[in-house]
Amino acid sequence: MIRLEQVTKRYGETTAVNQLSLEIGKGEVCVLIGPSGCGKTTTLRMINRLIEPTAGRIFIDGRDTATVDAEKLRLSIGYAIQSVGLFPHMTVFNNIAVVPQLLLWENNRIVRRVGELLELVGLEPADYIRKYPSQLSGGEAQRIGVARALAADPPILLMDEPFGAVDPLTRERLQAQFIHIQKEVNKTIVLVTHDLDEAIRLADRIAIMESGRLVQYDSPEIILSRPGSKFVRDFVGADRALKRLSRISVKDFIKPAAAVNVNQPKKEALASAAGHRWLWVVDDDEQLIGWVDTKTLMQSVSTKEAMDEGDAVKISILESATLREALSRMLELGFKHIPVVDDSQRLIGEVALGDIEAATAEGKG
Amino acid sequence: MRRLINPDRVALTGSILGLASLLLGWLTLKPNRLAAGTSLNLSESLGQPGAMAIVVLWLLCLALSLVKLKRGRSIGLGITANILLILTLVLVGLASGRLLEGEPAAARVSLGTGFWVTLAATYTVIFAARRLLDGWHTWQNLVSFSGLVVLAFLLSVGWLNNISVMEEFSGYQQRFVQELLQHMRLFGISVAIGTVIGIPLGIWATRKKHAEKPVFFTTSIVQTIPSLALFGLLIAPLSAISFAFPVLRDIGIRGVGITPAIIALTIYSLLPVVRNTYVGIRQVDPAAIDAGLGMGMSRWQVFRRVEAPLAAPLVLEGVRTASVQAVGLATVAALIGAGGLGWFVFRGIGQAAPDLIVLGAIPVIILALLVDALMRTIVRLGTPKGLGGERR
Repeated sequence: MIRLEQVTKRYGETTAVNQLSLEIGKGEVCVLIGPSGCGKTTTLRMINRLIEPTAGRIFIDGRDTATVDAEKLRLSIGYAIQSVGLFPHMTVFNNIAVVPQLLLWENNRIVRRVGELLELVGLEPADYIRKYPSQLSGGEAQRIGVARALAADPPILLMDEPFGAVDPLTRERLQAQFIHIQKEVNKTIVLVTHDLDEAIRLADRIAIMESGRLVQYDSPEIILSRPGSKFVRDFVGADRALKRLSRISVKDFIKPAAAVNVNQPKKEALASAAGHRWLWVVDDDEQLIGWVDTKTLMQSVSTKEAMDEGDAVKISILESATLREALSRMLELGFKHIPVVDDSQRLIGEVALGDIEAATAEGKG
Repeated sequence: MRRLINPDRVALTGSILGLASLLLGWLTLKPNRLAAGTSLNLSESLGQPGAMAIVVLWLLCLALSLVKLKRGRSIGLGITANILLILTLVLVGLASGRLLEGEPAAARVSLGTGFWVTLAATYTVIFAARRLLDGWHTWQNLVSFSGLVVLAFLLSVGWLNNISVMEEFSGYQQRFVQELLQHMRLFGISVAIGTVIGIPLGIWATRKKHAEKPVFFTTSIVQTIPSLALFGLLIAPLSAISFAFPVLRDIGIRGVGITPAIIALTIYSLLPVVRNTYVGIRQVDPAAIDAGLGMGMSRWQVFRRVEAPLAAPLVLEGVRTASVQAVGLATVAALIGAGGLGWFVFRGIGQAAPDLIVLGAIPVIILALLVDALMRTIVRLGTPKGLGGERR
């Protein structure tokens, strides 16, 4: 889809990007990352020719971008930046409509499209189309920025630290939404960030750059498990084993959990324990409500009396969570097993600490 | 108690100034136009009851500028100041007729320091009220201009005809209209030319690094040349040019008259327009420009759809500054034969007739106020929605 061949950008004496070659497949999310001044933003901006390369060629769908009119090229590539750059004198509607208007779309089509996009980024169209950027929160503005970049349904999206200017909590939410949106729109995305966790979370492939050069271009799993050089190893840091866990979903590690219904008679409950010291307690709706120690249970009258109540939100994880979250929750609670629940807090199974250890060990190399 | 007291400094200054003005001479009765006369104090001028009413109103102003009442106080302040202004004008008109009874025809009643200071004081208070009413345009305009409307009414019905300034006016009626129009022509043409040249110059300065310094150096230096000197400096080269090319003389380009005046006023208009255009375009968020370009807008589209509308309020603000400044500066143009309201000022100086000076100066002030108000409205209309605090 996008291919960079020996691309170089020099500013006088300094070389910002040095003979960079990179290929990004259709529908892939490629994250450019590296210390500041490594040339990642320059690389991104050369793709839509906001910066012209000094040497080398860039192909999109096999066509040399230098042979295409720069403005036409940019109209076909979505562009979102950290500071968002919404036009303060235009309503949200007009901001999103910029590219469709430049492409001379019919008005009806633009109205429909803006509505679709606002819904896609999770904002109620009726509430937002008449607002001005000064009336939006940072997170809302970022989402409008993404909607604007997607307006004309471009196959390629360039994003320069699109979640950089918001607080960590909002950033997490935007990242989760990004993954969700990407599943729906399946664009070829080149994203620049300096946040490794963000890269690991969002990327199909990570391109690590150092002073203008590409030092490693691999999937996050490989970058974390087999860093190609000392620079990459240092860059991903000592906790790369932990970071790897955030790429792995708990889904594949769920095992059946020993559980009892809160209303089950004591004897039945003890029988179902089958060697387990601890049992998860669920109510009639299969919803997790706590746990019980079999030793305590043996000395008490009923499960209800013996159980320790726990808020399902605090003592369990969702099946969509990552192993890293599971591990973190276990360390926090001091559990060796953590229950996994679905969206309505119904118990699905559990994940064991030992399995997470094994997963970490697998990646060593 | 402390909660109740929250003085507005400007209003307080105005009120104190107003009360102080009551101690000065108000009207002067002169045997003829040029002679020195006898100065009369407030109660001698306006009579006991009138003087009392004015004192009471000023005390009310003082009280209102001290207490904390938010919007109510601001409106009260503005209304009181306007009543004061109107009452003063009405009483002065009455008094002048009374004072001239039984005097010879050559006798004049002219306005003294007290009157003028009162006028300044009321407008100080009105200015304070206007500022306190920020955001309520209707009240602001009502407070700012009702006094002027009443003045216009009093003038048109001849209420103030016994005041010496108006006697001067009746002698120069035709000339007055002519010079007023000339004055408007002078500043109107210069500001228009200054805007047409200044905006591209300002844009150019933002685009070319090497243009920035010379543009600002030149326009700033010119701004420091005293207006009189600039008018004078233009006489010699323009005379030379017009002698060299008689064609130019035929179309009215000469060393004196309207041509050098318009050139000088245009040059003065440049700095505010250029400066504000430059700042206006520079303050546009670079991210907005980057986003525009990155989305596929051409340089021209970015300028027309992003930079120009975002810079517009500041550019118009520059034109406003230039206009108000040009109204004042155009007064000096009379010295090089360009006419305008300055004609009365300089003729008054020449004849040692202060009332003639006033006849020229007061309309300049009023004209400046009107131009300012008009331009403020234009700035407001030219500010795109979504900018600043104004949300509708």
